[in-house]
Amino acid sequence: MLAWRLLWRNWRSGEIKLLSVALALAVTVVSAIALFTDRLEGTLLEQSNSLLGADRLVTSNQPHRREWADEARRRDLAQTRVVHFASMVFAGDEMHLASVKAVAEGYPLRGYIDTSQTPFALEPELIERAQGIPAAGEVWVDSRLLPLLHIELGDTLQVGEGRLRATRVITSEPDGSGPFSVMGARILMNWADLERTRVIQPGSRVEYQWLLAGEEAQVSEFMQWLEPKLSEHEEVMDIENAQRRLQGTLLSGRRFLVLAAVMGVLLAGVAIALAARQFADRHINQVALLKSLGTSAGRIRGLYLAQLLILAALASLLGLALGALLQEVIARVVLKLYQIEMAPSGLIPIALSLLSGPLALVGFALPSLWFLPGVPPIKVLRQEMVIPRGAFVWQVILACAVLILLVGVFGRDLVLGLTVLAALAVVGSLASALALGLLATSRRAGAQAGSRWRLALASIQRRRGASVLQVVVFATAIMLLLSLTIVRTSLIEEWQVKVPDNAPNHFLLNIAPSQVEDFRALLTADSLKVEQLYPMVRGRLTHINDEPKPEDTLNREASLTWTAELAEDNQVVAGKWWGEWQRGEADLPGVSVEQEVAERLGIALGDRLSFSIGGLAAEAEVASFRTLEWESLQPNFYFIFEPGALDDYAPMYMTSVYLPAEKKRFINTLLTRYPTVVVIELDRIINQIRTIISQVSDGVGLVLAMVLLGGCLVLIAAVTGSIDARKQEAGLLRALGAPRRLMVGGIWIEFALLGGCAGVIAVMASEALLLGLQVFVFEVPVQPHYLYWLLTPAVSAVFVGVLGAISCRHAVTTPPAIVLREAQ
Amino acid sequence: MAYMLQAAQLGKTVTTAAGDLTILKDINLSVAKGESLAITGASGSGKSTLLGLLAGLDVPTTGRVELAGINLGELDEEGRARVRAEHVGFVFQSFQLLPGLTALENVMLPLELVGDAKARQRASEYLERVGLAARLGHYPPQLSGGEQQRVAIARAFACEPDILFADEPTGNLDSSTGHTINDLLFGLNEEAGTTLVLITHEERLANRCARQLQLAGGELMIASAEAIA
Repeated sequence: MLAWRLLWRNWRSGEIKLLSVALALAVTVVSAIALFTDRLEGTLLEQSNSLLGADRLVTSNQPHRREWADEARRRDLAQTRVVHFASMVFAGDEMHLASVKAVAEGYPLRGYIDTSQTPFALEPELIERAQGIPAAGEVWVDSRLLPLLHIELGDTLQVGEGRLRATRVITSEPDGSGPFSVMGARILMNWADLERTRVIQPGSRVEYQWLLAGEEAQVSEFMQWLEPKLSEHEEVMDIENAQRRLQGTLLSGRRFLVLAAVMGVLLAGVAIALAARQFADRHINQVALLKSLGTSAGRIRGLYLAQLLILAALASLLGLALGALLQEVIARVVLKLYQIEMAPSGLIPIALSLLSGPLALVGFALPSLWFLPGVPPIKVLRQEMVIPRGAFVWQVILACAVLILLVGVFGRDLVLGLTVLAALAVVGSLASALALGLLATSRRAGAQAGSRWRLALASIQRRRGASVLQVVVFATAIMLLLSLTIVRTSLIEEWQVKVPDNAPNHFLLNIAPSQVEDFRALLTADSLKVEQLYPMVRGRLTHINDEPKPEDTLNREASLTWTAELAEDNQVVAGKWWGEWQRGEADLPGVSVEQEVAERLGIALGDRLSFSIGGLAAEAEVASFRTLEWESLQPNFYFIFEPGALDDYAPMYMTSVYLPAEKKRFINTLLTRYPTVVVIELDRIINQIRTIISQVSDGVGLVLAMVLLGGCLVLIAAVTGSIDARKQEAGLLRALGAPRRLMVGGIWIEFALLGGCAGVIAVMASEALLLGLQVFVFEVPVQPHYLYWLLTPAVSAVFVGVLGAISCRHAVTTPPAIVLREAQ
Repeated sequence: MAYMLQAAQLGKTVTTAAGDLTILKDINLSVAKGESLAITGASGSGKSTLLGLLAGLDVPTTGRVELAGINLGELDEEGRARVRAEHVGFVFQSFQLLPGLTALENVMLPLELVGDAKARQRASEYLERVGLAARLGHYPPQLSGGEQQRVAIARAFACEPDILFADEPTGNLDSSTGHTINDLLFGLNEEAGTTLVLITHEERLANRCARQLQLAGGELMIASAEAIA
């Protein structure tokens, strides 16, 4: 009870306000980031799973076994089934080899099917989310099927032996890129119609998919049970292979959030430590008095500990509430802007957030306060007595330990946390040395300065230790903020570059060689930019140096092409590109292989690769390895042959094109004229990537704002730490007749100088830190930031100057008698 | 005779950069229960150091102090704190009020620390007795020097100590306010029958005590024999 009363009195007197705010801020930053990243990850997982339509997918050429389904049901997992096959569909005289997907009730378990009554609809108001699956007797179809068959919605088409009515067009579906999708337009039908249409006959080439979903732990457990029972014809798919394109963006986004969290916590930690130091300074006399009144050191320790723990608990609750509110705001914005319902957060981040308050207190505040109970009672009689504080080294070690714990537990990225800490340790020592040097220079300059400058420089020199500390603290705060801002900007720029606004958003396949010129003309006439046209044949890699290729990789047909020009986003990393490359003794044509797949297959330069192309054999020698960017959304190939090498294999051409939304209906014209051309609409995938980038960027922006707040708090804490001594001096100087203008000017100059010094150190340090981060963590190109070299010292001089002047205004504007009495 | 306070061969030496510095040397004195003793001396004569040793705030280099019959030398800091809590009250030159606490809360604080359930009531009573009934909710910076010292006196007496140590209680006050404060201090002391050890450099104030000792260069100048008697 007494601790509560003492805490309330301390709060009322303003002595713990800064400490409380800093503590609450630390918890807010930690909880907002912990909750947000948890939800973001959950959402992304759900979205990625929606690409599969399930949490796990078991594919096979036969239906899954009944006893497995029973076991899944027993374990409360949701399940449904899908079968993919290619089938010729007819309407009148027209026919098309469609990619049919028959789905059972419950499909999809994750994600949604979006449909429309308007073919080629893009406008959100025309698109509606399907409830359920097509009714028996009905099908939903790709828009492009309608012009191909010359039908409209409501017409019937022949599938196998049955007639089904096309009632809607599909605008997006989970797992849109099924195994047969490249071949033809999608038709979605009800599983119940399979029998009636007799579309699947013995020997038909079909792929059955068994979809499963549930709590991740249960699903994993079930998969562990199931996997040993699977035959070689059955394959399990999870999101790993479904979201490859997004991985880079997500990983760096997540890392940025963790980095922001580290910096946010660090800044809040510095603010907590400074506030605690200030609190300790003000309580030395109080403790001495309590001791003279007969309170034992143990009791004092208990009383202060109890107050701090209550404070930590309250700050944690407040911080958690604020953090939850903040991330809820982001989630709402995300929902409104992108129609994405974010996944709810788990309980673990909440529990961890609540723990972060007491942890931050132990790590950052306790070391500064530990000496308090040891203040000797004789201090009440000897005001001049200097009280030794605990060893600084231990304070730093404890703070680092807590920081590592917080980052390790919340960020789950210990390496990143350690990198930042190591950088900070170096920066801290360099900053101290530089600050001392700069202050020494300022002393020499002070000898020739005017009175305001002399006053300011004298004040800096008088509080030499405190001045160095302030410069280091300012520099650290500014450095962290600067680095974070620059990293954020360059990351977002980097992401935008990867998916530029006019990135090709449609792939056009299956263009006959005779159509190439006409095709190019048609596109150009509609003022559409034509990317390179690649000849393409489908082929299967069979042997490497006459040995069968490894069974676990590339068990499907790959697209093979040839070209003289290397695409912009491709880079030869080993071997030589055509022109420089010479054929070997066997006089085989050269092939350039994508580096990752080469590694997986164990291919070396000079190896002989055998392909089976439509039953014909082809051989080539490995001339080079290439890297490429899957995220660029350009046509990319594992194997590129030297020009002319595949001329004998009846190639079809492919290209990519950027179609703005308003020209979407161009596809209709195109397909009517070239019915055999296959169109892959990437625009929805691109939109999805953009959505996720925006989500991550928004989160990042908000986190940055919170970290900025932490930085300001640190600056305030550093300035107010010296207020008591300043008040007394200012009162004395004013009592001696110093004009107010001189005093205010002196304070301005003093803080502006400290801010300027800190700015110079900060910009140097942040360049060093960024170098490390960009090279080792984010892998983005390094570039110096000249503008910041000019701006940072100037802005920080003005900002710290204003902050100092505002904080100290009370000391110079209040009548000296009152100031002196208060200072007593 | 029952003594409240006894000191024998008390000495204090501190180590400085220039070598050992003896602040107090061979101090012998005793104070009877209810007696008032003034220790006078010039600035730097060691008055405050002596007060610190007598009250158990500090430990001597040599000699011993017995307070309320307890040998302080045999106790650790925790033990000395218990003795102070049970028997000792203080009035300081610089008042030592906590600036964030109201006058009432400053007086309540020591009572709350010993778990007195009627802390608020007793603190109000004592503040009324020192004439500050109308100032209970004021903070120290809002009070004059004299008023602050009255709060400090109320705080000292509210605990009903057996012995009160006063360190230059009027040192920071003008003479007229100082006079009022002295009247208050001695009046309350007489009422409560508290033993009083007063440190002062003012002869007029010292004369109000039953006995005076003078400290010069760390030694007692008035015959120690008399002091012990």
